[in-house]
Amino acid sequence: MALSNRDRARLSLGIQAAIFAGVVVVLIIIIDWAAVQRSFFNLEPVMAMFPEVITVGLWNTVRYTFFGFIFGLIGGTVLALMRIASFPVYRWIATIYIEFFRGIPAILVFIALGFGASLAFGLNLSTLQTASTALAIVGAAYIAETIRAGLQAVPKGQMEAARALGMPAWRAMVTIQIPQAFRIVLPPLTNEAILLTKDSSLIFVVGMAGSAAELTKMGRDGITMYQAGMTPLVVAGICYLIITVPLSILARRMEERSPARSSRKRQKKATASPVTSGVA
Amino acid sequence: MSELVGTPEQVISDPAGVVIDDLHKSFGDVEVLKGIDMTVSPGQVVCLIGASGSGKSTLLRCVNRLEDPDAGRITVGDFEATDLDVNLDAMRRQIGMVFQQFNLFPHLSVLENCTITPRRVLKQSRDEAEREALHQLDLVGLKHLADRRPAQLSGGQQQRVAIARALTMKPSLMLFDEPTSALDPETVGEVLAIMRDLARAGMTMIVVTHEMGFAREVADRVVFLDKGVVVEEGTAKQVIGAPTQPRTQDFLRRVLNPLGE
Ligand SMILES: Nc1ncnc2c1ncn2[C@@H]1O[C@H](COP(=O)(O)OP(=O)(O)OP(=O)(O)O)[C@@H](O)[C@H]1O
Ligand SMILES: [Mg+2]
Repeated sequence: MALSNRDRARLSLGIQAAIFAGVVVVLIIIIDWAAVQRSFFNLEPVMAMFPEVITVGLWNTVRYTFFGFIFGLIGGTVLALMRIASFPVYRWIATIYIEFFRGIPAILVFIALGFGASLAFGLNLSTLQTASTALAIVGAAYIAETIRAGLQAVPKGQMEAARALGMPAWRAMVTIQIPQAFRIVLPPLTNEAILLTKDSSLIFVVGMAGSAAELTKMGRDGITMYQAGMTPLVVAGICYLIITVPLSILARRMEERSPARSSRKRQKKATASPVTSGVA
Repeated sequence: MSELVGTPEQVISDPAGVVIDDLHKSFGDVEVLKGIDMTVSPGQVVCLIGASGSGKSTLLRCVNRLEDPDAGRITVGDFEATDLDVNLDAMRRQIGMVFQQFNLFPHLSVLENCTITPRRVLKQSRDEAEREALHQLDLVGLKHLADRRPAQLSGGQQQRVAIARALTMKPSLMLFDEPTSALDPETVGEVLAIMRDLARAGMTMIVVTHEMGFAREVADRVVFLDKGVVVEEGTAKQVIGAPTQPRTQDFLRRVLNPLGE
């Protein structure tokens, strides 16, 4: 007997639901829920961690990331312009920089700055300086590639039209190409900010004073301090999500609003509304 | 169509002449222009015709130096375009260019498209730039769309804005590279009408086009380019009406009668 398409879809949905129900039942039976609650969702250490986890941990994470991102953005823009420069030496330097720092683990940069800077140059960097410099160095390499792609996504005719009107190259770059590239690049840059937020945790390997602690350090210290399982890590994790989820939503919003899509969306709305109103 | 444009309002006071002398240009190993000689007197309209790949765009782009010629000499008005130390930006301000794909700035309004260069490059005040831009937009019949974004305009409207944008710089030479080739057939006429009125106002124009009707009506001279060489030139009546060269005859047969019968 042949199944109709609709029957087949319904059957598939039923099978998926059955598997899901089975897995849930098994998990309920085999997991020691009391232990889970004790080690991951223990209210005591949560209360003990407040408000410092916000006023110190979250605040420091945001600070380190913010400065790392800003300087990474500046460095990345310079690198991107070097990457498309006509003077070949600029292109080589930028390419080597980008490939180098994208190719090594970010943690090496943190270690190099945290321990190496004082050993090699006698520099005594604060935690803020170490973390944001390391993030800027690594972030610049990724941001440079994002910005270069954005600049090259602007059609060549834009620059030509500007030059044909008599704009000098830098003026055409500043008023025509960069503003258009900026719009293209905003969503991927927001994703870059998310990655940097998470990478700020790497400052943990260098160690820091309690007042400079960021979320990961606080979570890790909480485990030893309260002897109450993993709950401090869960708290730290949630704090990261407080930063990253809004950024992620923002990036998606901006992507949807990008010029290429908005026109398509308008069309869809225009054709969809009479249908829905007709049904209602 | 012509009520869109008030011809008498626009008078080009100082149109530039163009002299092209033995112009050569190669891309890699391919020589695209093989010694072009061409003269356009001030106020003249020259239509460039020729098959795809014959070098029409390259020739046009050499005139405002979007391409660097390999050899030869070009003068535009007082500018030695091929001089190494010519002030390119100053020269380009004298030369308006209209592209097949319009190339309006999509992040700026129609008005801003027309004011950005006068303001940023000529250092005009906002008022001054906007007054001139609105005047030019009025001449192309689009003053009422000044606040729109280019994406909200039809192709023909966008091309008319592109012409107005070029004219806000008060050029003395206009280059058109297939200005109507990307347009829906019903909007071709409105763009050609503006170009015709601009020609009548005394602008020097070099127009790459496949619109033989326009060439017949407006062009002082028609130049047929083939494989990087000027094969034939003369009045429209001569070149389009009674071509003497076999390659011109062949090309025109294909353009005027694409199905070949
Ligand atoms: N930037 C470039 N690099 C390499 N080759 C090029 C470049 N621009 C043009 N060409 C080549 O030069 C030749 C002439 O091109 P051009 O655009 O001047 O022709 P055209 O007469 O304008 O043709 P069409 O009618 O298709 O616009 C073509 O073979 C083209 O492939
Ligand atoms: Mg062309």
